[in-house]
Amino acid sequence: MSEEIYQKLAQTVIDGELEDAQALAKQALELGLEPLDCINKGLTKGIRHVGELFAAGEYYLPELVLSADAMKAALNILEPAMLGGKQQETVGKVVLGTVQGDLHQIGKNLVGSMLTANGFHVIDIGVDIPTSEFIKAIKENNATIVGASALLTTTMMEQKKLIEAIEEAGLREQVKVMVGGAPVNQEYAEQIGADGYAEDAVSAVNLAFRLVDAPK
Amino acid sequence: MIKLQERKASIQPIESKLKINILEDEEIKQINQNTRKVLEEIGVVFPSGKALNILAEVGANVDFNNQVVKIPAHLLDKYLATSPRTYTMAGRRPDLDVNVGNGEGTYYYCSGEAPKIVDFNTGQRRLSVKQDIANHARIADYLPIISLLWPTVSASDKGVTSPLHGLEACFNNTEKHVESESVMDQISARYAVEMAIAISGGEEKLRDRPILSQLLCCIAPLAQDRGGIEAAMVFAKYGIPVGFMSMPTLGLTAPPYPAGALTLAMAETLSGIMLTQIINPGVGNYISVNPGIVDPRTGSYFMGSGIAQITNVAAVQMAHSNGIPVLACHSFGGSQYKLSNWQAGYENFYSHFLAVMAGADMSFGPSGMYEAVSLLDHPRILFDREILRVIDDVTDGIEVNPKTLSFDMIKQIEQTGSYIGHKETAKAYRSIWPWESILYEDGAAEGRKWRDPVEVARETISWILENHKPEPLLEDVKQEVRKIVAAADKDEDLKKEVRGHKKTK
Repeated sequence: MSEEIYQKLAQTVIDGELEDAQALAKQALELGLEPLDCINKGLTKGIRHVGELFAAGEYYLPELVLSADAMKAALNILEPAMLGGKQQETVGKVVLGTVQGDLHQIGKNLVGSMLTANGFHVIDIGVDIPTSEFIKAIKENNATIVGASALLTTTMMEQKKLIEAIEEAGLREQVKVMVGGAPVNQEYAEQIGADGYAEDAVSAVNLAFRLVDAPK
Repeated sequence: MIKLQERKASIQPIESKLKINILEDEEIKQINQNTRKVLEEIGVVFPSGKALNILAEVGANVDFNNQVVKIPAHLLDKYLATSPRTYTMAGRRPDLDVNVGNGEGTYYYCSGEAPKIVDFNTGQRRLSVKQDIANHARIADYLPIISLLWPTVSASDKGVTSPLHGLEACFNNTEKHVESESVMDQISARYAVEMAIAISGGEEKLRDRPILSQLLCCIAPLAQDRGGIEAAMVFAKYGIPVGFMSMPTLGLTAPPYPAGALTLAMAETLSGIMLTQIINPGVGNYISVNPGIVDPRTGSYFMGSGIAQITNVAAVQMAHSNGIPVLACHSFGGSQYKLSNWQAGYENFYSHFLAVMAGADMSFGPSGMYEAVSLLDHPRILFDREILRVIDDVTDGIEVNPKTLSFDMIKQIEQTGSYIGHKETAKAYRSIWPWESILYEDGAAEGRKWRDPVEVARETISWILENHKPEPLLEDVKQEVRKIVAAADKDEDLKKEVRGHKKTK
C-alpha cells in the first residue's frame, strides 16, 4: 500500500497535478505513512524524473513549473507532520530572492523550479527583499547556497551589499553566493566576490551543483 | 531538433488561413482574353507531326509547314473543360496520395534534376550519379513536408537513359508519388509507363491510381518541345497526369511586363493541356509558371527578382481561373545565392509565403539545391524546410475564441504573476515552440550551448541515410523494373530519339 502511494505521489509530480498531489499527501498522512518517506520515496523521486525529462528536452519550462508547484503543495502538507530532527534528502538548501528595490520574479521563480526539479530544497523568500531578510533566511534554514536576483542596473549593487552583509554576519564560509539577472555578468559576479553567475535557469542548476560539489 | 526516429513515410501539405490575391477579377479576365487572342491570331509551335494531326482533326487551324497551331477560343475552352480541377497523384499507399485541388493545402515537391552534387563525405563538388538520387529520395521519403518528388539529380553515370534510371532509383527508395521532368521523348516515356504499370500491378490500376506524373517544359516564347510533347502524349494516353511549365524570361523570351509574360505562359501551357485532353479527356494536368529576368548588365539569367516572383504567384490565380491546378514557385535554391547568403532566406520566404496564401495546389519545396538549381547539397534540404516550417506557422493566422481570449487565465493570474506554470501554457507551448527544427538545437551536455545548424543538419542527414529504410518494392516488382530499365539501356531507337537523329514526320 505504501509503495503504491509513493508511486502515485511521484506520478502526480511528474504530471504536474497540484490538487492530486495535495489529496495524496493528505491521504498518506491519514494512512499513517511516514511523511519523510512520502517525500523521499515519492515526491523527490518524481521531481528528479522531471529534471531528467527537462534535460532530455521532453519537458518544457511550463511542465517543469507545474511539477515543482505540485511538489511544493504536497510538501506544505507533509513537512509540518514531520517529527522533529528529521530531514528530507536534498542536494542542498538554497535561499532564493530578488534584491531590495526590485520586483522582478519570473527569472528567480524559474531558477527555483529548476533547482527544485533537480533535488535542491528551495526556500523562496520573494521579491524586494532587504539584505537583513536574506541573512535571516540563511541562518534559519542553515542554507548552503543563496541566490540573489537583480533585473535592474539600479538594484544590482544590492547583490554586492548582500555579499558584504553575509561576510559581516560570519556566514561566508557556510554559504555560497550565486547571482543572476539581465544586467549581471560573470565579470561583475567576480568583481563583487560572488561564487558564481548563471545566465539562465539551466546554467543556474549546473552552477548550484558545482557550488555544493555534488554530482549532477 | 528534428526528432530522429524511424518512421513510415508520411506527407503534410500546408493549409493557409491567410489569403492573398495578386490580381483583381477584371485583370484576370483581361489576361485570359489576351491569351485567347494570342492563341487564335498568333498560335503556338508544335514540332511534332503526331501532335499537329491530332490538333488539326479537332478543328485547330494548323500550318503544317511552319508547325504553328492557332486555336479558336471556343475550341480551347471545350477541351479545358474536361481537364479536372481535382484529381489524385497517388503514392504507393493511399495515405500518401496527393489530392490535387481538394483544399487540403499546398503540397510540396522535392525537385531539382541538378547535374552536380556536393559529395556528402568529401565535401567536393562532382557530377551526380544514380546512387545520389537514391540517397536523396530516402531523405525526401523521411521528411513529411515533402509530398512528391523528382529524381533530384541526374544519373550522369547512366548516359541517355539517365531519366529512367532516376525514376528507378526513386521508386526503390520512396513510397511517395514520383514525377519525371526529364523523360522527354516518346520511347523513354513508354519505358517509364511500363515501369509504372509494373509497380501499380496493371494498366487499369495505374489509370486508377497514377503513381507517376510528368512535368513538361514549354519553350518560350510560344513553342512546345518535340520530344517533350510526344512524351506527354504517351503519358496522357495512360492516364498519367501531365503538368506544363512555362519559363518566360521577362524582356528576353517574354514581354518585360508580368501581364504580357503571363499571357504567353498561359498560351503555352493551355495549348499543351488541350492536346492531352484530346488524347485522354479527364487526364490530370497542372500549370506551372517559372518566370525570370536577365541581368541587363551581363545577360545572365536571374530567377530571384521580386517581379519574377510576383508573376509566379499571380499564375496561381490565372491557372485557377481556367479550372486548372497549379504548381507554384521556384525551387528553393533557384536564385544565384550561396547557402550562407541572407538573400536566399528572404527570396525563398516571400516567394513561398505568397504562393501558399494565393492557394497554390502544389509548390516546389525543400530540395537541397543552390546555385540556380544546378547543385545539390543534401543537408541544405533541412534549411529549405525551416522556411516552410515558419510559413506553416504564420499562415495558420491567429485563432480568436473564448479559450484563446484567455479571460479565465488572466483572472486567475491577476497582476504581476507568471503564466509559465499554467496548464494552458504547458499545452500551448507544445504547438508554439518550433521543436522540429535544426535552428534551436542546444547541447544536452553541460552548458546546453547553441549549436551551429549546419552541423545539426549534417548529423540529421547522416542519421536518415544510415537509419531510414523506406518500404521496398516487392522483389519480383523490383526485378521487373530492373529488366525494363536494362532493356531501355540496350534500345538503339531510344538513343537515336534522345539524340534527335530522327526527324519530325
